[in-house]
Amino acid sequence: MLTQRPDSVPIAGGTDLMVQLRDGRKRAATLVDLDRLGLAGVRETNGGIEIGAATPMDRIAADPRIRRLHPALAQAAAQIGAWPIQCRATLGGNLANASPAADTAPALLVAGASLTLVSSAGTKQVPIDEFFLAPGRSALGPGELILSIVLPSSSREPDLRAFERFVKVGPRREQIISMVSFAGRALVAGDGTFSEVRLAFGSVAPTPVRARRTERLVTGRHPDAELRREATRVLQDDISPIDDVRAPAGYRRIACAVLLARFLEEAARG
Amino acid sequence: MAERVTVTLTLNGERRTFEVPPGRRLLDLLRDDGGLTGTKEGCGAGECGACTVLLDGAPVTSCLVLAASAHGHEVVTVEGLQSAGRLHPFQEALVKHGGVQCGFCTPGIAVTGVALLARREADPSEQARLLSGNLCRCTGYTKVIEALQDAFAEGGHAKS
Repeated sequence: MLTQRPDSVPIAGGTDLMVQLRDGRKRAATLVDLDRLGLAGVRETNGGIEIGAATPMDRIAADPRIRRLHPALAQAAAQIGAWPIQCRATLGGNLANASPAADTAPALLVAGASLTLVSSAGTKQVPIDEFFLAPGRSALGPGELILSIVLPSSSREPDLRAFERFVKVGPRREQIISMVSFAGRALVAGDGTFSEVRLAFGSVAPTPVRARRTERLVTGRHPDAELRREATRVLQDDISPIDDVRAPAGYRRIACAVLLARFLEEAARG
Repeated sequence: MAERVTVTLTLNGERRTFEVPPGRRLLDLLRDDGGLTGTKEGCGAGECGACTVLLDGAPVTSCLVLAASAHGHEVVTVEGLQSAGRLHPFQEALVKHGGVQCGFCTPGIAVTGVALLARREADPSEQARLLSGNLCRCTGYTKVIEALQDAFAEGGHAKS
């Protein structure tokens, strides 16, 4: 159907798409409701956790396995819109719209997630790093859908402690599109040294981004005050925020620096 | 476009069928086709919560749900919260605590509150988080939360 009618648009929760259609920012001759495909649900696989694309945020936020192994994702899901949105908005929809402000994206970037895409040609796996191309544009081809999101299990040395966090910044706590969002995941040794660090930001580049320069800087080191300061400087080259209706670029740069410094300090302290 | 789709759903416990244009919102089906005007339209963009209804027991903003997506599902509006002519315990508590002023947000708050009680959510900060999608511009939230805790203490969760 989606392949035969190029002017048709798939719809899942509709919490973003319905608003875009209403405002005329998007047009669709036909809406194809994905509800009956049965794509909702969370299951454990031998490689980790697989989340069906149509799983609503409310279920992700409440899932004990996701809360335990990927707390940043559970925290992001619990902060999207508000409860009536979370009961309807789906993980696949949050990604398919390819908004730079998609709150689950930074959490999935630090989780090292991959997406299972399906089309009449078959299925394929795409790493989340390669999925977002530009604002509103993703690696999804015409007639292609997100089937599921796969979170790999992370094996770690028993003496390393995992620390993970999601934070979003906006004029208030609920019902906002993030001015900046952040997810961090660190494996920390007993003395506070980072053995592995992943950092990702939303709303500060054309797509959600990993802060790879900053990650390289802090990996293998103990983030004392001097390293934290250096990290916030290096971070500025990892991001490219713009001025828009929600916040000026300068504010976003400062907010990112604060979120990073706070995360590094808290992660090292445990 | 003269095209119509058939939507059959359980509405407040009753099986109902509607013929609606494909792009119709659930909110319009409820108010205009179903005559259930308790559900209000505030922002029309999923931000204010005035149009909240239960879809298979979960609170959703009906302005963002296509009527056709509700086909085969169960919808409860504020009109469906009462049983045998008696208000739901949370509605009673809203009246008792003065958690109602102009009343525009009340149907949405009542629906979300009943869902919250059904979930047996007893933590006040989590209650506040779950109610945060229902905006009130006059009486505020203190009395609503008091009503919720009262209904919880009265065992309102068992009756929803």
